[in-house]
Amino acid sequence: MLQSALAGLAAGGAYALLGACVVLLYRMVGVLNFSTAAVGAFGAYASLEFLDLGWPYWVAALGGIAVGTLLSGGIGWVMSRWFFEVSVGVRSTVTIALLIGLLGLAHRAFGDAPKAVPSAFPGASLDLGVTISSDALLALGLATALALGVGAFLNRTLLGVQLRALSERPTTAELLGIPARRLSLLVWLFGGAAATVAVLVIAPTRPADFSSLSFLVLPAMAAALLGLFQNFTATLLGGVAVGLLEGLATYFDAVSPYRSVLPFVMVLLALLWTQRGEVWDAAR
Amino acid sequence: MPPAEAARTPSPAAATSRPPVRGLVLGVLAVAVAGLGLVLPSFWLFLATGAVISAVTALSVGIVYGRAGMISLCQLSFAAIGAFVVAGLNTQGILVLPLQILLGGLVAVPFGLLIGLPALRLRGVNLAIVTLGFASAVDVVLGLNAFPGADSGEYVTRPALLAGDPAYFAFCWAVFVALALGLAWLSRRRAGLAWDAVRRSERATAALGLSVPGTKLWAFGLSAFVAGVGGGLLIGQLLTVSRANFEPVFSLMAFALGVMLATQYWEGALVAGVAMALVPEILRRTGLPQDLTSLLFALGAVEALFRGTGGLAARLRLVAAHRRARDLPAGLPPLPATQQSRPRVTSAPGGPVLELSNLSVRYGQVAALLEVNLRVERGTVAALIGPNGAGKSTLIDAVTGFKGYMGTVALGGRSIDAVSAHGRARLGLRRSFQQDRTIADLSVEQYLRLLSGHDLGRAELLEALHFLGGPHPERPMDSVDVGTRRLVEVAGLLAARPQIVLLDEPGAGLDEAESLRFAARLREVPAVFGCAVLLVEHDMALVAAACSQVTVLDFGQVIASGECAEVLGSPQVVRAYLGGEDAA
Repeated sequence: MLQSALAGLAAGGAYALLGACVVLLYRMVGVLNFSTAAVGAFGAYASLEFLDLGWPYWVAALGGIAVGTLLSGGIGWVMSRWFFEVSVGVRSTVTIALLIGLLGLAHRAFGDAPKAVPSAFPGASLDLGVTISSDALLALGLATALALGVGAFLNRTLLGVQLRALSERPTTAELLGIPARRLSLLVWLFGGAAATVAVLVIAPTRPADFSSLSFLVLPAMAAALLGLFQNFTATLLGGVAVGLLEGLATYFDAVSPYRSVLPFVMVLLALLWTQRGEVWDAAR
Repeated sequence: MPPAEAARTPSPAAATSRPPVRGLVLGVLAVAVAGLGLVLPSFWLFLATGAVISAVTALSVGIVYGRAGMISLCQLSFAAIGAFVVAGLNTQGILVLPLQILLGGLVAVPFGLLIGLPALRLRGVNLAIVTLGFASAVDVVLGLNAFPGADSGEYVTRPALLAGDPAYFAFCWAVFVALALGLAWLSRRRAGLAWDAVRRSERATAALGLSVPGTKLWAFGLSAFVAGVGGGLLIGQLLTVSRANFEPVFSLMAFALGVMLATQYWEGALVAGVAMALVPEILRRTGLPQDLTSLLFALGAVEALFRGTGGLAARLRLVAAHRRARDLPAGLPPLPATQQSRPRVTSAPGGPVLELSNLSVRYGQVAALLEVNLRVERGTVAALIGPNGAGKSTLIDAVTGFKGYMGTVALGGRSIDAVSAHGRARLGLRRSFQQDRTIADLSVEQYLRLLSGHDLGRAELLEALHFLGGPHPERPMDSVDVGTRRLVEVAGLLAARPQIVLLDEPGAGLDEAESLRFAARLREVPAVFGCAVLLVEHDMALVAAACSQVTVLDFGQVIASGECAEVLGSPQVVRAYLGGEDAA
C-alpha cells in the first residue's frame, strides 16, 4: 500500500511544480493560467521531435525547454501588450482560449497519436525498503527548489518586491519606475521553462497524448488552490498530496480507474471550505 | 411640449411592443427554416441538424457566461448526462423521445446546481477550475461506463412522427426556437435581469433584494437543463453516441464561441451552431486541416476579449440600440391621463422607520463608527453629512448588511441584525451606491424593472421617471450620462416603494440647477411614494433644500443632530468641516 502511494510521488512532484508555476503567474502577473500545462506539453513534445533528429536526451530536453520558454514568452508578450489593464478574470479567460488554440496547434504540429516520452534517468531508483524512482526524486527536488527559491526571492530581493508591486497594481508600479512589462515578460519566460520541465518529468509515467498532458493543469490548479494561490509551500505539499492520493487509489481496485477524478473532488472540497464565509466584490 | 415634438412622440403602447413587422418577419423565417429539411440534400441536412443542436448548447453557455458572467467549461458534460438519460430510457422503452429528452435536461439540473455550489461565494475564475475538473471527471466516468445500449449495438429509436430526418430537423429547430423565445422573455423579467446584475456587481445585486447565491444557482441550473436537452437532441440525431462526442475540448470550444459571439442572444447562438458545424466542413473542402477550427475559435475569443465590449451579437445589438436611441424623442412619453392624478400616499403613523442604536464598526484598532445613534422618522427626508472619511459610507454599508457591526439596527421597529443584505432590501431598506453600478447594456426600462423589485406596469414605471425627469425608457443605459443614471437609479428605488431609501451622494454629477430641482423632488418623496429618505451628501445647498433633519458625523461619531437650519449653522459643525479640510 505504501509502495502504491509512493508510486504517485513522481506525479505529485510534477503537480507541485506545475502548481508552483500557476501560483507564480497568479501572484506576479495576475493571471490564472489555464494554458500552463499545455505550454509545458508543447515544449516536451518539441523535445521529442529533437530526439527524433538524433539529438542526445539532455540536449533535446534543453531544446524543448527553450521552446516552452519562448512560447510562454510569446503569450506573455501578448498579455502585457493587449491585456495589461484588464481584470484577472479577463486575463484568465484569455488563457482558456489559448489552451484551446494550443490544443489545435499541437494537433497540427505533432499529430494526435500518444507518444512515448523517455525518462531522464531510466531505471534508476532509490531503495529505502520501499522504492522511490529517480523521476520522483527529480520532480520533488525541482518543486521544492522552485517553491522555496521563488518564495525567498519574492520576499528578500528588490526585484521580488518590485514583482509583487507589479502584480497588485501594474499601472502604479509602472508609474513608480518599475519596468512592469519587461518584468512580467520575465515571469512568463520562467513559468514556461518550469512548466516544460514539469511535463518532461511526468510524461514518462503516463499515456502521453497532448490533451491529457494539457489537462494536467487540473491537479496543478488543485495544488495551487490548496495554497490559496498565494503560498508556495502549501502548494508544494498540496501537489504532493494529490499525487500520493492518486497513487494510493491504485491500491484499491474499485477506486483505481477513477483516480484522475480525485483532483476534481479535492478542488471542490477545498473551494467549499475556503469560501465558506460571505465575501463581497470590490467595495468602491 | 411643442406640437411638432408631440407629433413625433409615439404612444406608450406602441413604444413598448416591438415593431410588429419585425416579429412577423422573424416568425415567417422561423417557419421557413423548419421546412428546410424538405429541400436540403441529406448530407447538408445532417450538418444543419448538428448546427441547430450546437446552437442549443451555445445558448446554455450564453446563460452562464454571457448573462451571469460565470465561466463554465463543462457544458458538454451536462449534454452527456442528458444523452445518457435518453439512452437509458430509450433502450428500456420508457416514454417517447421528446419526453425522454425533457427528462434528460431535468436530470442534468441537479448536477448543474452541484457544480454551481462552489460558485456561490466566488467569481468567474475559480469556477473555471471546478467546471474544467467536472468536464474531465465526466470524461473519465464515460470512458469506463459506456452509454446504455452502446455495447450491445442498440440504437435509439425515434417515434414514427420524428423518424424521418427532415421531421427530426424541424423538431430540433422547434426546440431551439422555444428555448430562444423563453430566454428572450426572461431577459425582460426580473428573474432574467438578475443575471445581468450579478455579472455587473454582486453588491448591487444584493442591494436590489436579489439573493446572489440564488441567482447564480438559477443560472447554472437552467443552463444545465438547456445543455442536457442539447445532449438528448444529439443522441436522437446520431442514434448512438460515445464519450468522444462530449470530450472536454468540445466544452472549451463551446465556451470560446460563447465569448466570441455572445451566445446569450439567439442570433449569436445560431451563428455559433453554424460555425461549429460548418467551419470544419469548409476547412475539409478547401483542403485545409480541420484542427485549425479550434485555433480559429481561440483567436476569435481572444479578439472579442481584447475589444472588451462583448461578443459579436452583443456588439451588433448595442449598435442597433444606439441607432434606435438616436431616433427617440428627447423627452419622456406622456403619462396616460388616468395616471396623472395619482393618489398621494397617506403617510403611515409616526415613529422611527429606521433606528440605529450604538452602532460601531471597527477595522482592527481603528473605529470607523463609534456608538452611533440615529433615528429617521417616518415621512421625513433626513441627511447624514460629514467630512471625507467621517464614516458615512461605512454607516450605509453596515445598515444595509454589507459590513459586520456591533449594535442594533431596527427597521420599522423590528431588529434586522440577523437579516442578510438582500433580505434587508426586500424588507424595504434600499440603497444607492456612490459609484456607478448601473448595468450599461440594459435599457432604462429594463434597468428600472430590475431595480423596482416587482414587475411594474409601464404606467407605474413612467410615473417614477416623470417624477425625477429621467431619460426616455427605451434609451440604452450606456448612452445616458452618469448624473442622469443616478436619477434613473433613484427612480427605480422609489418605484420599489421601500420603507426608506439610503442615497449615497445622488447629487454627484448634477449641475447646480439640476441639483436644486432634484432637491425639490426629494422633499416630495415621502408624500408621493410613502417612503423616508436618508441622504448622504456633500452638496450643502442640496441638503439644505431637501432635508428637514440633519445628522453630522466626524471621525465615526455623531457630533450634531437635529433640525436642518439649526445644525448647519452650529459652530461645531462648521469647525468640523473647515478643520477637516485644514488637516487635509
